[in-house]
Amino acid sequence: MPKIPVAKLEPGMKLAKPVTAKNGMVMLGEGTELSETWIERIRDMDIASIFVEGPPVQALPKEEALANLETRFAKVDGKPYMNLIKKITKEHIEGLYE
Amino acid sequence: MSNIDPKVLRHKVENIGTLPTVPGVLKRLSGIIEKPRITLVEISAFISNDPALTTKILKMVNSAIYGFPGRIASVSHATMLLGLNVIKGLLLGVSVFELMQKTMNGLYEHSLACAIASRVIAQKKGLKEPEEISVAGLLHDIGKVILMLEFQTEYEAAMNEAQTKGISIFEAEKNQFNATHANVGSWLAEKWRFPRSLIEVIEFHHRPALAKNAPLETAIVHMADILVRARGFGFAGENYVPEVNPAAFELLKLSAADIKDVLKELEENMESAEDIS
Repeated sequence: MPKIPVAKLEPGMKLAKPVTAKNGMVMLGEGTELSETWIERIRDMDIASIFVEGPPVQALPKEEALANLETRFAKVDGKPYMNLIKKITKEHIEGLYE
Repeated sequence: MSNIDPKVLRHKVENIGTLPTVPGVLKRLSGIIEKPRITLVEISAFISNDPALTTKILKMVNSAIYGFPGRIASVSHATMLLGLNVIKGLLLGVSVFELMQKTMNGLYEHSLACAIASRVIAQKKGLKEPEEISVAGLLHDIGKVILMLEFQTEYEAAMNEAQTKGISIFEAEKNQFNATHANVGSWLAEKWRFPRSLIEVIEFHHRPALAKNAPLETAIVHMADILVRARGFGFAGENYVPEVNPAAFELLKLSAADIKDVLKELEENMESAEDIS
């Protein structure tokens, strides 16, 4: 579920998490489908961004994420169990881009 | 080489109330939680009297970090459900949040991720109080915050040394302070009368083989720390994944599928966790 800046909200998007006021009171429930009216209300609420349903957006391109992984593990290559942990983490990161 | 005497360092840390760089809110909190016979009711009243604190605590307990499915609406409900030690830990956690942002960018993200990973591993191991392990994960690096606050120049030197020499921040701290964030954190945990197991986790999360009373709990947070760094969430002083302690790894007996699950839960929960502040 990606977090979308309020300026980029469009009608038809669904809330993945409730929109709450500063004190925690729920203003719009989870699963609400956004209409023009709701978007206008959210804009008036002084909120920067909200969670909507949909596949998560990865911050880094895949190649960069994997290159960073190599760098992080550079010091522990061949140490007990570390190659296993690296392999699992690599599969996990690759899975985020499928 | 360092000329800081660990005894002097310990004395300073234990008298956190007199450290000029520690903000008032943390001093006030420290004064409350170090009381020998503080009750749940008193803690509950302390939180309820502070609306900002109340909001932060409720956000935290209702978040993915604790994985309570229902919504906890009141502080008294939260304290009854979680117990004294977890609430004390959470209070510290939310109170050092801003400090972490100011002192080491990424440390709070690292700590939150460790809290989540620790809880998931604890649940996989069938521990009765996964919330306590989660708090241990949240607070395991609290020593870094105090070192950064009180010895900023020296700590920055340690971070530079870690980066230029390619050593861990733990080693660099030893060179600078003759002590580490793990020592500092455990002195504080002791001062704040946290249970022995939590003190041990904080003290030995880099050397889990030394934990005598809580070897499993310590191994869990050690492993959580490594998985969070492996995935690259947050920043804890240097960018390298440290070596897992083989004995701790064997004690946990996590399968590849277990580790995958931990990473998966981390991924799902960290997305919403940035909202907690």
